[in-house]
Amino acid sequence: MRQRPGVVLVAGFGGLLLIMAAAEAGAFLFLNNLRHNDTALQARFLARNRTLERIRSNIYQSGTFVRDSLLAPGQSGARAEVATLDGLRLDSESALNSYAAALEPEEGAPFQDLRSQIEAYWKVLDRTLAWSGEEREKYRDAFFYQELVPRRTSMLQIADRIEAMNEEALRRGDVKLGDLFGRLQLGLLAMIAVTLLGGVTLAALTIFHILKLEGEVQRRLRESVHSRASLQELSARLVRAQEEERRALSRELHDEVAQAFSAVLLEAENLLDLDPAPEVRARLDSIRGVAAKGMHEIRNMALLLRPSMLDDFGLLPALEWQAREIGKRTGLRVQVASEMSAELPEEHKTCVYRVVQEALNNCAQHAQASAAQVCVRHQAGQILVTVQDDGSGFDPERVRGLGLLGMEERVRHLGGKFQIDSRPGRGTLLRVTLPLAAIPEAVRTSVVASEPELVWDGGPADGADSHSAG
Amino acid sequence: MEPIRILLADDHNILRDGMRLLLERQPGFMVVGEAADGREILQLARDRRPDVVVMDIAMPNMNGIEATRRIVEKHPRIGVVILSMHHDESYIIRSLKAGARAYLLKDAVKAELILAIEAVVDGRSFFSPQVSRILQEDYVQALDRKNADDTYDLLTDREREILQMIAEGKTNKEVANTLNLSLYTVDTHRTHILQKLNLHSVPELILYAVRKGIIS
Repeated sequence: MRQRPGVVLVAGFGGLLLIMAAAEAGAFLFLNNLRHNDTALQARFLARNRTLERIRSNIYQSGTFVRDSLLAPGQSGARAEVATLDGLRLDSESALNSYAAALEPEEGAPFQDLRSQIEAYWKVLDRTLAWSGEEREKYRDAFFYQELVPRRTSMLQIADRIEAMNEEALRRGDVKLGDLFGRLQLGLLAMIAVTLLGGVTLAALTIFHILKLEGEVQRRLRESVHSRASLQELSARLVRAQEEERRALSRELHDEVAQAFSAVLLEAENLLDLDPAPEVRARLDSIRGVAAKGMHEIRNMALLLRPSMLDDFGLLPALEWQAREIGKRTGLRVQVASEMSAELPEEHKTCVYRVVQEALNNCAQHAQASAAQVCVRHQAGQILVTVQDDGSGFDPERVRGLGLLGMEERVRHLGGKFQIDSRPGRGTLLRVTLPLAAIPEAVRTSVVASEPELVWDGGPADGADSHSAG
Repeated sequence: MEPIRILLADDHNILRDGMRLLLERQPGFMVVGEAADGREILQLARDRRPDVVVMDIAMPNMNGIEATRRIVEKHPRIGVVILSMHHDESYIIRSLKAGARAYLLKDAVKAELILAIEAVVDGRSFFSPQVSRILQEDYVQALDRKNADDTYDLLTDREREILQMIAEGKTNKEVANTLNLSLYTVDTHRTHILQKLNLHSVPELILYAVRKGIIS
C-alpha cells in the first residue's frame, strides 16, 4: 500500500520525460530531413535549369556557326566552323543525356520530341556542310530562313516548355515540403498537449499525495507531542506519588511503629520496677534490648525514606542532616552553604533535596571525592543549586547513569535547567536552576537569618490559638 | 514537701500510661494531667500549674517545640523536658532554643526521665548521653569556626585568589577569564567565600579585604 504511490509517480514522471525526449528527437530528425530534402530539391532544379540553358545556348551558337560557315569565303574557313560545330554537338548530346538521367514523368514526351528535333537539326546541318561553294551560294538564304530558323524556334519552344515543367516540379516539391512541415507542427502540438495533460495530472496526483503525507506527518507529530507530554505528566505524577508515599511511610514508621517499640520498652521498664524474679528480669531485659534496637532501626529507616526535618524545618536542616549522615557513612566532608531566605514550595524543596542527595551519593560512591560543597541560593526568581566535589570527575558526554537521568527528570518537571561541568581528573560541578515565580521580595528579605517557622501541624488556626493559650 | 507536679504530652496513650505508671511509683512525683496534642497541653499548663512538662515533639495540631516555646514564654517557671524519638541535632537545638531544659531520647526512659525531672526542678539542664555527645560535637564545631585564628584560614588557595580579584573590583566574568574557570565555578567560589567569612555582600567583602591588608 505504501509502495504504490511511489511506483506510480516514478512511472508517470519517467514516462512523461521519455515521451518528451522521444518527441524532441523525432522533431529534430524530421526537421533535419526536411532541410535536407529542400536543399536537394533546389540543387536538382538548378542543375536541370543549367543543363537546359546549355542546350539552348548550344542551339543558338550552332545557328551562328552554321551561318558563318555558309558565309565563309573559302572551303578552309568553312571547315574550321565545322570543327567548332562538332564540339557543340557533342556537348549538346552530353547535356541531353545528363538531363535524361533525371526526368520528371510528365517531361518524357516533350523531351523525346526535343531530342529527335535536335538530332534532325544536326542531320540537316550535316547536309549543308557537305555543300560546295556554289551550292552554298545558291541555297544559303533559303536554307537559313526556311530550315534553320523554324527548326531553332521550334526547339527553343520545346526547351521553354521543359523549363516550365521543371519550375512546376520545384513548386510541387515546395508544396510537399510545406505539407510535411505542417504535419510536423501538428505532431508537435499534439505532443505538447499530451505532455501538458500528463504533467498536470501527475502534478495533481503528486500534490494530493504530498498533502496527504503532510497531513499524516502532522497528525503523528501531534500524537507524539501529546504522548510525550502525557508521559512526562505521568512521570511527574509518579515522582510525586513516590515522594508522597515515602513521606507517609516515613511518618508512619517514625510516629507509630517506633513509638510502639518505645511503649514496649517503657512497659518492660515498668515491670522491672516491680522487682521480679531473676529469671523474669532476664527476659524483661531481653525485651528491652530488642525494643531499643527495633526502635533505632525503624528510626533510621524512616530518615532514609524521607528525613522528617525536610517537612518539619525545611530544606537547609535536611541538607545539613544529609551532609552529616553521608559524612558518618563514607567519610566525605560536606559543606552546606545557603543563601535561602524563605522556605520553598513543597515540590521545589523535595526536588532540591533529592538532587543533592543523589549528587552527594555519587560524590562518595563513584567520584571517590574527599570533600564536597553544596550551595543553595535564591536570586532573581530562581533557585540556584550547585554541588561541587574534588573527585575523579567524568565525561558528561559519555556517562549518563540512571541517577543523573533521574535528577534531570526531576528538574525538568519543574521547568528547571540541569547542567554538569566535569572532566576526568577535574572534579564535578553540578548546577541546577529552578524557576521560582511566587515568593515575594518582602518575604525573602524579612526572614533573613531568622529561624524558620516552627509550626508544621498547626496550620492557619494557630494564631487564634496562641491568644486563647495566653 | 510539696510533690513535683508533672504534665504529660504525648499522642500515644499507651506511652502516656506507661510514663504515668513509672512516675507515680516515684515518691514525690505527681502527674497532674495528660494531653494528646500541643493545644491541649497549652491549656493544661495554664490551668494545672505544673512544675514540669514532659513533652513529645511529634504531636498533632501543634508540635512539641512550638508548644514549648509558648509555655516557656507565658510561664518561665515551668521546666520542659523533651522526650522524643528524634535524635538529630536540628531537633535538639531547636528544642533548646524554644526553651526546653532537658532532652531525652525514647531509647532509655526510666532512669533518665526521673533524673531529668529532678534536674529541671532544680533549675539545671539534663540530656541523654547521646544528646550530650551531639551537642558537644556541634559546640566544638562552632568553636572551631569561631575560634579559627582567622576566618581567612578557612579559605582555600583558589578562594583567596578569587577573593583578592573580587576585592580589586573584577567582575565574575573577568575572574573567570583570568583564571580560565567557568563562570559557574567562579560564582560558586564567591558564594563559598562569603559564607566562610560570614559576609553578605561585595562591599562587605571589600571592607574585609582592606582590613586584612589584602588590598590597599
